Amino acid sequence: MNIVAPLSKLEEILPLAAAGADEFYCSVVPGAWMKRFGTSAVSRRAFSNLSQEADLEAAVTQCRALGKRISLVMNAQHYTAEQLDCLLELARAFDRLGGDAVIVGDPVLLGCIGSEGFGFGLHLSSIASCRNAETARFYQELGATRVIFPRDMTLKEIGRLTKAVPDLEYEAFVLNDGCVFEEGVCHSIHLPRNLGGAICMDRYSYTYARMDRADLSPSETEALAHNDQRYLKWLWYRFGCGFSVTDAGYPFGPCGLCALPALREAGVTAVKIAGRDAPLTRKEKSVELVRRTLDRMAADRDPARLMDYAQALRPSERQCASGYMCYYPEVLRQRASRVIARTG
Amino acid sequence: MVYPVASGPQRALSSTRKEGEVQSREARADTAGGSVQTCLSLTDLGMLTRLDDLGPRPRLADCLERLGWKEPPLSGDYPNLRVTRVYLGNEFCERLLPTPAALRSAYAALRALDAGITLVTPLLTDSGLKRLRPLLSILEEGCEVVVNDWGGLRLLRTAYPGLRPVLGRQLYKMIKDPRMPSAQWSRLHPHGGRSAPFQQLLKGFDVAQIEMDLPPFIGPEQFQVGAFALSVHLPYAYVVKGRMCRIGSLNQPDQGKFVAGHGCEKECLSYVTRLARPRSGEPGLVEFQRGNTQFYRYSAAMEAPLREALEQGQVQRLVFAGDWNEHRCPAQ
Repeated sequence: MNIVAPLSKLEEILPLAAAGADEFYCSVVPGAWMKRFGTSAVSRRAFSNLSQEADLEAAVTQCRALGKRISLVMNAQHYTAEQLDCLLELARAFDRLGGDAVIVGDPVLLGCIGSEGFGFGLHLSSIASCRNAETARFYQELGATRVIFPRDMTLKEIGRLTKAVPDLEYEAFVLNDGCVFEEGVCHSIHLPRNLGGAICMDRYSYTYARMDRADLSPSETEALAHNDQRYLKWLWYRFGCGFSVTDAGYPFGPCGLCALPALREAGVTAVKIAGRDAPLTRKEKSVELVRRTLDRMAADRDPARLMDYAQALRPSERQCASGYMCYYPEVLRQRASRVIARTG
Repeated sequence: MVYPVASGPQRALSSTRKEGEVQSREARADTAGGSVQTCLSLTDLGMLTRLDDLGPRPRLADCLERLGWKEPPLSGDYPNLRVTRVYLGNEFCERLLPTPAALRSAYAALRALDAGITLVTPLLTDSGLKRLRPLLSILEEGCEVVVNDWGGLRLLRTAYPGLRPVLGRQLYKMIKDPRMPSAQWSRLHPHGGRSAPFQQLLKGFDVAQIEMDLPPFIGPEQFQVGAFALSVHLPYAYVVKGRMCRIGSLNQPDQGKFVAGHGCEKECLSYVTRLARPRSGEPGLVEFQRGNTQFYRYSAAMEAPLREALEQGQVQRLVFAGDWNEHRCPAQ
């Protein structure tokens, strides 16, 4: 299983490779793009790009020397015709550099790049919300070679899809940066914090009403308040447990370490660490955390022991037990069921 | 790219309907009522019982009143438009796909309204696709299906080529953040409706109609979609939907809340959530959440460009939110 790590600066390559990364993903805003369109929105995120096109060439060269793979991200949800032309130029340049893959979320761009016959792989971004086999085939026919699953798929859904379309590569989220809503159908933008920030983090107040015009009963009011309280707790986990870390620097927050055996079993061959805008230390520690768990998995194939090992890497017993920190919480429930079955 | 047309599942004709009757009703639905088609969307197919005594092609205002609207969503002559098509189902959650029995019953009810049928479909998991197939098999040749999932579109093209796909508003991407203080922000990601490659992709899948919402600061260029027919949803735009559902978690145990594929008791049919955020200056757009989806209501300023587009023939269809709204409606 390859570890796919985020990259926003050239100087991150060596330490992340040393920590155990196998693949990198990054984005760059071409000068021509800035000149024509006046934005940095080549990708879903406008920030944390490599600072210049020359850095992309250097990154490809460094990765090749280290025996690592590098992917270029162009994953906005949609582009104009003029922007598509500009991105095709960028893809051609990346192909000439010998880059390994391009990550795309828009089917139109994916089709345009797919029809060019480039030498690199074509990875479907999680932005594309590929949740079923028909969608995987749709993108495969346009040229996709790997599907990066969206967040919040169950292991069963992943397994069913990989089995139905076995001739694609699959990548799944393993660490950091949860999205609250469905990223691929989010038509909001991450505003600056003083304007509200991301819509899922904005300070909305909620008032409930019944559609049948009846008043809320006391028990309904109580249940809704409890649900809201749990939701806020869940949000805290989604946003990296307040972006906290252990004493050793390992990050809390969305995590799929315990599910690595199940992901491998399902045919997932790469696991993604999110967070291009994170500081290098957080990225390094994230890679290290996944690498240690994968190394352990290679030495001991027992999923229950791996779960104990992964959870012990961070003194996070309470966080892990909540299930809200898990990308794939069903592994916790399955284990709990087995324990009950044994003792019951 | 040529997509193979599989022999696919055969659409079974209900013994209570005649194919010719349905086809002619579908055709009438798209030509009746003048230059703009007027459609009503219903998530809860049971709501059709509130409309069934209104007779053929009911007035929009009468339908909306029965569904709890206190006033029509648009001023002017629009309330007098005649409803010629009903959208059935929900675009935002596969748990709200109707059952085959409910869809068959809806067919019968729509006969009384002399209205065409459009089946609405959401983003889908493989389980959702499995539940969708029998519904598609019920639909007659020529019926419309709104797709919000590229896999759903592929399925239609390959296995149900007689059905007419319509590109849903979740696949027609544009920035629709109700909090944007100026039009400048939407220029970060301009929409791609006019791009030739986008239009070619859709043509390859026999899509002839596109659905959209009105984004804040909408300009005339956003109604330009080449040769495609354009539907506009009224009076709400969706902003974002989640896989996890806040209200849908209400009756789940704590560890089962907000997890992928969690169960629910369809609380979205019973509750609406009003949203408010602290802001200074002008009041913002009205926002609310139904189920897993956040919406805003159009302002009067946003309706003006729509009226202009309607006058210029750029919009062929208006789709009014029948029951998926923020209006509380007495039980009947």
